[in-house]
Amino acid sequence: MSLTARVIFGPNPRRTAVRVLVLAGMSLITFNWVLLPIRTQGISMVPTYQSGKFTFVNRLAFAYGRPNRGDIVAIRLAGLHVVYVKRIIGLPGERVEIIEGQVHVNGKPMLERYVAADRRPWNYAEVTLTPTEYFVIGDNRSMRVSDHDFGRVERSRLVGRLLF
Amino acid sequence: MIGLAGFFGLRALYPNDERLINQRLFALRDDVNSGATETFSSVARAAQIGTFFTEDVVVDLGQGTAPIVGRETLMGMAARLEPRTTAFRLELDDVGARLAPDGRTADVSLTVSFVLRTVSTGGESVDAREFSLGMTKDGVWRIARVTAVDTLK
Repeated sequence: MSLTARVIFGPNPRRTAVRVLVLAGMSLITFNWVLLPIRTQGISMVPTYQSGKFTFVNRLAFAYGRPNRGDIVAIRLAGLHVVYVKRIIGLPGERVEIIEGQVHVNGKPMLERYVAADRRPWNYAEVTLTPTEYFVIGDNRSMRVSDHDFGRVERSRLVGRLLF
Repeated sequence: MIGLAGFFGLRALYPNDERLINQRLFALRDDVNSGATETFSSVARAAQIGTFFTEDVVVDLGQGTAPIVGRETLMGMAARLEPRTTAFRLELDDVGARLAPDGRTADVSLTVSFVLRTVSTGGESVDAREFSLGMTKDGVWRIARVTAVDTLK
């Protein structure tokens, strides 16, 4: 075996081939069923996520546990190539309302440390979430309310929790 | 290898309806996007875009807006919109077509991203929406219904 071939394939080509196949298989499983790589676009999650940040969605996060308040989640649209990234602020059965920019859950104001101080006075009439609904919203409340997508989402649309 | 080549060759020569619907939608996307760069009269471009829709097409964008009914209305809107679209790009993702048993109609779900470029800064903002389309086949596949899906209600 030539030196080049020895450097590329190692002293035992068969073992190298097995390693490559195992690695390829593990990557295929990981990136098809466990981790979804995403790049955020837009400013709706500022300051937590700036536009262009690369991260992963843990698709197994809700396989055995339920989504919690404060989780940052990916929400599917028609598929997984484009997803919304939002924060859960309301859980099934709860009442959610926004008064002058302040989120109220079950009538009580919610402390949101992740929101920057320059929030606009958004208003959103109270809704009661069904047993399968969550209320999601972005962290950037300095936007005009009409430019910000938020609201109730079905549990079945939650893809997973963002890793970092 | 020969079998595989034959399979892909036949698929390219005789695409099934799902592939035809995909091709049709991406052709529409290309026509919409081409207006931003090419010197093409806005009326001619609107007419070209109109060929992708049935005469009685209904476009329901939801969010309290009244539905747009008819190809002529849609073409008129497309012609008026043209000058504003110079920094505008349309992208389609996750196109999924389900053919009805009769083979003449299909339901299509897809995500449409409206990419707006700010001329002054060069930055881009993206607004993604999910849509449900109803398509019918009269020689070629045309869009008969467009409904915006409320992902977040």
